[in-house]
Amino acid sequence: MNRVKVLQAWLWCVSLWSCWLSHAIPLDCKDETGSLIQCTSISQEKLLDRVIQHAELIYRVSEESCTLFEDMFVPYPLHALRNQGGTVCHTKPFPIPGSKTEIQQISDKWLLHSVLMLVQSWMEPLIYLQTTLNRYDDAPDALLNKTKWVSDKLLSLEQGVVVLIRKMLDEGILTPSVFEHTLTPYDEPSPEIPESVLRDYNLLICFKKDAHKMETFLKLLKCRQSNKLSCLSY
Amino acid sequence: QYIVHSWFLSFSEVVLEPFQFSLPGSDPSRGPHFTGCRSREQETFRCWWSAGIFQNLTEPGALRVFYQTKNFLSEWQECPDYTRTVKNECYFNKTFTQIWTSYCIQLRSVRENITYDEACFTVENIVHPDPPIGLNWTLLNVSRSGLHFDVLVRWAPPPSADVQMGWMSLVYQVQYRVRNNSHWEMLDLESGTQQSIYGLHTDKEYEVRVRCKMSAFDNFGEFSDSIIVHVAQIPSKESTFPTTLVLIFGVIGVVILLVLLIFSQQQRLMVIFLPPIPAPKIKGIDPELLKNGKLDQLNSLLSSQDMYKPDFYHEDPWVEFIQLDLDDPAEKNESSDTQHLLGVSRSGSSHVLNFKSDDDSGRASCYDPEIPNPEDLASLLPGHSGRGDNHPLVSRSSSSIPDLGVQQTSEVEETPIQTQPAVPSWVNMDFYAQVSDFTPAGGVVLSPGQLNSCPEKKKEEENEKKIQFQLVSDGAYTSENTARQLSASVPPSPGPEQGYQTFPTQAVEGNLWNGEYLVSTSDSQTPYLLPEAPPAPILPPVSDYTVVQEVDAQHSLLLNPPSSQPAICPHSPNKHLPAMPTMPMGYLTPDLLGNLTP
Repeated sequence: MNRVKVLQAWLWCVSLWSCWLSHAIPLDCKDETGSLIQCTSISQEKLLDRVIQHAELIYRVSEESCTLFEDMFVPYPLHALRNQGGTVCHTKPFPIPGSKTEIQQISDKWLLHSVLMLVQSWMEPLIYLQTTLNRYDDAPDALLNKTKWVSDKLLSLEQGVVVLIRKMLDEGILTPSVFEHTLTPYDEPSPEIPESVLRDYNLLICFKKDAHKMETFLKLLKCRQSNKLSCLSY
Repeated sequence: QYIVHSWFLSFSEVVLEPFQFSLPGSDPSRGPHFTGCRSREQETFRCWWSAGIFQNLTEPGALRVFYQTKNFLSEWQECPDYTRTVKNECYFNKTFTQIWTSYCIQLRSVRENITYDEACFTVENIVHPDPPIGLNWTLLNVSRSGLHFDVLVRWAPPPSADVQMGWMSLVYQVQYRVRNNSHWEMLDLESGTQQSIYGLHTDKEYEVRVRCKMSAFDNFGEFSDSIIVHVAQIPSKESTFPTTLVLIFGVIGVVILLVLLIFSQQQRLMVIFLPPIPAPKIKGIDPELLKNGKLDQLNSLLSSQDMYKPDFYHEDPWVEFIQLDLDDPAEKNESSDTQHLLGVSRSGSSHVLNFKSDDDSGRASCYDPEIPNPEDLASLLPGHSGRGDNHPLVSRSSSSIPDLGVQQTSEVEETPIQTQPAVPSWVNMDFYAQVSDFTPAGGVVLSPGQLNSCPEKKKEEENEKKIQFQLVSDGAYTSENTARQLSASVPPSPGPEQGYQTFPTQAVEGNLWNGEYLVSTSDSQTPYLLPEAPPAPILPPVSDYTVVQEVDAQHSLLLNPPSSQPAICPHSPNKHLPAMPTMPMGYLTPDLLGNLTP
């Protein structure tokens, strides 16, 4: 009898503990006042839609920022640089394929991880970009606002992708890794205008390209979620 | 930074001119060059070139295209596929097309080992999507008048663009125009696959077309085929006739209502639109009082207005005196003081002066029966500052004598009381007649002064005159009762021994003056009454009073000389006519007064 009782108690404890484990809330949900409340749940599809909306907005704003900067600071003959997709963009830890066929063959896991990596790799450069843009005498406010907005939205995007990773891939939270950037921010006493202009212009172009990548990957993911057949390579 | 510089330098030729890759046209004036590169679906792309003026390079194979991707491979590779069907075209298929990658292509003549042209781009920047398909329209609605209509235009994305996967995000632009018109109306970019067009005219044919581009890029694709939108004008069954009828009837009804309203509320409307002009109003005075009020009330009211007082003062001092006597209690004090000093038996003038003997507030100190108020006495003289103008019994410095108030004239003439030695030359002027006696009825008995021997009349005449004066002077101030009383109470022979007599108190109400104290003062000389008796060696018999004959234009009184008197009086009235007012000379001094009393 005692053994049975002990075993029962033990089973109870285990089940309770497993229940508690399953209900472990890694994310803290706060309402407007800041108090912790029960997190409102959201379906995976809706989350993916929202993440895609974020990525689309970021991509559009990045393009607008690039245009603003180009109109303001870049002389017309240099506009061709935009067509060339940026001279040097900082390298990534792992290459991202560019052809459609290759991209279609990327697994969901790698799609999400690539997006997360892209988002995380741009956080610091955007902050740097904000500081350099402030140095320009006549930088339009719209440009500064957009850059700031994009920085904020990137954070939300990162959070969304993290949740997606956890939900879709059943993986734990990835620790944000710090990527080495070839284009490290540095403070020059007073750089010549053309050099800094070129550098910042290049930065904006690169960011636009990477934002496009994020959006494309997420949309592909969405397509796969809804209709697997049409999204596979044919 | 080095990479930037070198790359920048290598592009000097291209950078100098805008890189228009999307125009597949040839420029014959140049040497061999690329005419353009395009991608339709972001999965493949093609590039075209032209030999230019170098005709010797037109044969195939003379010019070759090399490309290089800026990824890991930095070696130049030749064009993977020279299109056989199209001249001078290089085709990159899916395997060779990578987005987010910079491509550089070169046009070389291998034989000469010359690079004629070079260009760099990324594939997504050269994408020109195919035109949308399936453009159609549906009618949304037609306006009430049948002149305008709205349509909804729909289309489908180009089949080559993989929108579903999200490989390409397209935005569309719809354009329409009236058929055969040259100007196209452009609508805003639409990310969906349908758009509404509003405000089209019926009975007109419209052309509608649509094109698309990748969002965040600038290269529009070709236009789709135009469709014709046309809606025939339907003759509206309901004509505009009823609406106009309704309008007309409505307006007529409103007009009738307005007219009725105006006629029914005419009075009120008149008041609203034409407000009555306010009648002139004097502040503090009720207009009704002006119409119906008694003269005494009116005068009291009017005199209380500041604006009236100065006029009275300046114009007609005698009239003013009358006014003041009635209205101003302060003045009344003095007048009553003077009155009693002179002799309360003078009913007429007393009446005149003391008519408004109402409230005696504040007069307690003045009316001390034992001691007359020196100030009041002092104020009787015109030399007294501040009071000279106001005193009714003091003649103005002006020599004018008003028409009314004959008694006052005589009073002033007869009763100058000096309190100060510095008195203007009253002494030497024969303005006054000497008061010899006072009748019990309140009349003053005049006697000729010591230098003045103007004749005077008998007492009866004096009384008569007094009464007459009284009645003449103030028809408004005394009631007839009082007049009768006065006339009745005038004793036939008051006699000089009465001296100061009590004022018939029953004649005037509210008069606290008790002339009795004056009686007492008559016994003892008051210190304020300075004796000054002009020497008179001869005292010719003088009559008691003089009859005022008339008043001439100069406001001087013409006194009748007594028949019994010899015309010794140097100051006969006639004499004094032109020069000065004819007043009996002399004044009453207390000792004289004492002589007069019995």
